[in-house]
Amino acid sequence: MEIQIKDVSKHYYSEGKTIKALDNVSLTIPGKKIFTLLGPSGCGKTTLLRCIVGLEIPDAGEIIIDDEVVWSSKKGINVPVEKRGLAMVFQTYAIWPHMDVFNNVAYPLQIQKLPREEIRKRVEKTLKFVKLEGFEHRPATNISGGQQQRVALARALIAEPKVILFDEPLSNLDAKLREETRKDLRIFLSELKITAVYVTHDQIEALALSDIIAVMHSGKIIEIGSPRKIYFDASHRFVADFIGRANLIKAVVKSQQDDRTVVDTQMGSFICQKRDFPEGSEVVLCIRPEFIYLKEDKKEIVGQNILKGTIETLVFIGEAYEGEIKVGDEILMVKIKPETLLKKGDVVEFNVSPEHCLLVSV
Amino acid sequence: MKKTPKLTIVLILIVGFLTVSPVIMLIFGSFSEGLSAFGSFTLEKYISAYTDPAFSKIIINTIIFVVGAALVATVLALFLAYLNNRTDIPCKFLFKIISITPMMIPHILFSVSWVLLLNPSNGILNLILKQLFSLESSPLNIYSLWGMMLVEGLLDMPIAYLIIAPAMASFDVNLEESSRVFGANSGQTLFRITLPVLKPAILASFILCIVRCMASFAVPSVIGMPGRIYVLSTHIYRTISIGFAVDYGKAAAIGMSVLVISVTLIYIYRYMTSASEKYVTISSRGYRPTVIELKKAKIPLFVILGILMFVLIVLPVLVLIYTSLTPYAMVPSSRAFSMMNLNHWSDVISDPISLLSLKNSLFLGIFGATLGVVLSIFVAYTIVKIRTKASGLLESLSFLSFSFPGIVIGVGFMWFFVRTPIYATIWALLIGYIATYLPYGIRPLSSAFVQIHKHLEESSMVCGAKPLTTMWRIIVPLLIPGIVSSWVLMSTMFLRELTLSVVLSRPGTEVLAVQILRFANDGLWGRLSALGIIMIVLSTTLVALVNFIGARFTNK
Repeated sequence: MEIQIKDVSKHYYSEGKTIKALDNVSLTIPGKKIFTLLGPSGCGKTTLLRCIVGLEIPDAGEIIIDDEVVWSSKKGINVPVEKRGLAMVFQTYAIWPHMDVFNNVAYPLQIQKLPREEIRKRVEKTLKFVKLEGFEHRPATNISGGQQQRVALARALIAEPKVILFDEPLSNLDAKLREETRKDLRIFLSELKITAVYVTHDQIEALALSDIIAVMHSGKIIEIGSPRKIYFDASHRFVADFIGRANLIKAVVKSQQDDRTVVDTQMGSFICQKRDFPEGSEVVLCIRPEFIYLKEDKKEIVGQNILKGTIETLVFIGEAYEGEIKVGDEILMVKIKPETLLKKGDVVEFNVSPEHCLLVSV
Repeated sequence: MKKTPKLTIVLILIVGFLTVSPVIMLIFGSFSEGLSAFGSFTLEKYISAYTDPAFSKIIINTIIFVVGAALVATVLALFLAYLNNRTDIPCKFLFKIISITPMMIPHILFSVSWVLLLNPSNGILNLILKQLFSLESSPLNIYSLWGMMLVEGLLDMPIAYLIIAPAMASFDVNLEESSRVFGANSGQTLFRITLPVLKPAILASFILCIVRCMASFAVPSVIGMPGRIYVLSTHIYRTISIGFAVDYGKAAAIGMSVLVISVTLIYIYRYMTSASEKYVTISSRGYRPTVIELKKAKIPLFVILGILMFVLIVLPVLVLIYTSLTPYAMVPSSRAFSMMNLNHWSDVISDPISLLSLKNSLFLGIFGATLGVVLSIFVAYTIVKIRTKASGLLESLSFLSFSFPGIVIGVGFMWFFVRTPIYATIWALLIGYIATYLPYGIRPLSSAFVQIHKHLEESSMVCGAKPLTTMWRIIVPLLIPGIVSSWVLMSTMFLRELTLSVVLSRPGTEVLAVQILRFANDGLWGRLSALGIIMIVLSTTLVALVNFIGARFTNK
C-alpha cells in the first residue's frame, strides 16, 4: 500500500498574505511501515496528512494510494474522502458523544451495511485487541482520555483499511499516559503490519514509533531516514537542531582525509565524520551533549578530539547532570552521569569521538 | 467541504430585510408627515417630539427607572450568584429555577400581580396592613417610581444572573487564594480581588439590564401609567394609541433616540462580555472552587433566598389564582374562600376576543417559532461553520435586533406594513416576532454547532459515510438539544409577546398579552387572572417539555 505524493502544493491566504503550507512536496511512503511526518507546528505536516486522506484539496500535484490516483490537478481527479478507504485517528479523537463505545467502533462497518452479527463479532474482536473488552455499552464520553484514544484506534482498525493516518494522536494525553500509549501503539501497529502515516511534533515520539521519519520545515520535506539516521547522521542543520539537543559550532573545513574531515573552530581543530565539503568552506559542527565524555578522577582520557574547559554551570535533573563547559569563548552543553563528583568551577578534560562530530551546512 | 456562498447571500438578504428594514422605515418615518404622507421630508416631528414641555420629565423618569431597576437586578444577581457558586448554602437547585423563571411567568402578569397586591385602593397587602394596624389610608403605593424600579429589577434579575453566575463559576480561586496568602482577609479579598476581576461581567449585566429596562413596556404600562408616571416606552405608546391625533411620525422621532442609545449600549455590552471572557483564567485540570462556610449566616441567608424565590415565583401565581376565583378584591379570609367561584373563568372562556387571542398566540407560538427555528438553524450554521467575511456580516445583522426595543421597532414595522397587504394580519406579527427574537433562536443553535467539532464530521467521512449519512447520523443527533431549546425559547417569547404586539396588533389579530393589557386597563382583574393562568400553564408546559427532552438526550 504505497503512497506516492508528487509535486503537491497547497497555499493558504490569510490577511492578504500567502502562506505556503506545502511547497512542491514529493514523497513516497512505503507500504507496511510506520512513517512519521515530524516537524514544528506550522510546518505543513498536518496539511499533508489531510491532503492524503482527502479532507483538504491541494492546489497542484498528484496523490496516488496503492496505484490508484486519488487526486490529480492535471487529470482533474478527486476521489472524495469517503471513497478513499482510509482510516484516521484525530488529535481530538473525534469520539461521537451521542453514541456508546460499541456504536463508535462499529460505525465504519455500519456504513458498509455489513450484517449485524458480523459487526458485533468484529467489534468484540477489535475492542479486545485494544484492551477495551466489556466497554461496549459505556457512553463514549464517560471514559478516560487514554480509553477514548483506544476507541479512536479501534474505530480506525475495524474496517481493515489500506492505510491508517494519525494526526498527533497522543498530544492530548498527559506525560505518563502518553509514554504508555506510545508503547501500546507501537505493539499494535507492528503486529498488524499495516501502513501508518503518523504526524507529530514530538521528536521522542517520532524516534520511538517510526520505521521512517520525514522531517518537515516550512512546507518542505528536509530529510528522510530511519530514526538512527536522523539522530546520528542528519545532513541538515535544522534536523540536527530539531532532534534532541545539539551544540552548533561555527567551523571551517581544514582538510579532507580518507575517512575523516578535519575542521577548525575557535576551540581548536576537530576530526569529524567524513562529509564532502570543499576545503576552506564554512560549515557547522554539531555535537550532541550526551556524546561529550568528561574525564573523571585520575582515569586517563583516550581517543581523538581531546579538549579542556571550565564547568560553568551544573544542574541536577535526576537522570543526569546538565552542564555547560566554557572552552575559550565557546560554551558547550554537556550531559554528565548522575553520580559524578565534578562540581562547578572544575577544570576538566573531555573528548568527543569523531563518529559524533557531525558536519552540516550553514 | 465548501458550500456555495449562495446560502450566505440569501440569508443576509432575509435577515437584513428583517432587521434593517424596520430601522430604515423608522428613520424615513421620523422625517415624514404621517403614515399616509410618507416620503415628504419634514423636521417637524423631531421638533414637536423634543420641544414638548413634558419631555424633560419623561427623560428624568426614564433615567431613574432604568438605572434603579438595573441596579436592583445586578446587585440581587451578584448576591445570588455568590451564594450559589461560592458558599455552602443548602438547596442549590433553587438557583437553577431562578434562571428559568422569566420563561415561565410573563412580565405583564408579574407586574399585574404586584398591582393586585400593592395598589393603593384595594391591593391585597394594603388591605391586610390596613386591617392589622387599623390605618386610614393604604401605606404602600405600587404606582410610583419605586414600585416600577423594584418590580422591573426583580424581572430582570434572572438575566443579570445568567451573565454573572458563569463568570463567578469560572473564576480561578487561585487569584483569591494568593490574595489570602499575601495577608488580605476575606473581606479585603472580596473587594480588592474578586469584585474587580468580575467587573466586566458585572458591568455587562448592568448594561444589558439598562437596555432591557429601557425597552420594557409591561411594568411602565401596568404600574407606571395608572400613576401617571411616563417613561420613553409608554410615551411612545401614548403617542400612537391614545387620543384622536395618533402620530406615528412623532413616535418614530422619539423612538430614534431610544434605538440609538440601545444599539450603542449593546455594543458596549458585547465589548464587555468579550473582555470578561479574557478575564477567565481557569485551568481545566482538577479545578474545584473552595466553598466558603457560612456557619451562623447560613440560616438568615437561606431565609432571604427563600423569600426571594417566594416573591419571584410563588406569590405572583398565587395572587393570580386567588384573584381569578374571588368576585372582587378582598383580604383572604374564610368569607373570601366561601365566595370563590369560577365566574371569571367562564367569562373568559365565553369571551370571543380572549379565545381569538389565545388562538392567535398559539399559532404564533407554534408555527411562528418553528419558522424562526428553521431560519436560525441556517443562520447559526453559516455563522459557525462557514467562516467568511460575509458570515461575519450575517452575524452582526442577526444580533442587531438583540438591541431593538420592541415598541420602537414595532413603530418601524408599522411604517413598513401599512404599505403592504399584510398590514393588520397575523403575518405582520409573525414577521415582527421573528425579526425581534431571532437572536434568541440563534444563540442555543450556534453553541450547539460550536460543540460539534469539525473532527466529528471529518471522522465520519473518513469512515466512508456519504455527506447525507454524516448529516443524519452525526450532526442532527448532536444538534437536537440545541434545536429543542431554541424552539422553546422562541415559542415562549412569542406566546407572551407584548411590546411589539401593542403596536402591530389590530382588531382580529389580538394576542394574549395585548388582551391582558386591555383587561388591566379596564380593571377586569378577575378575567385577567384567569387568562393569565392559562398563559402561564401554556408556557410552563413548554419549559417542562424541553427540560424533559433535554434530559433524555443528555442521558443517552
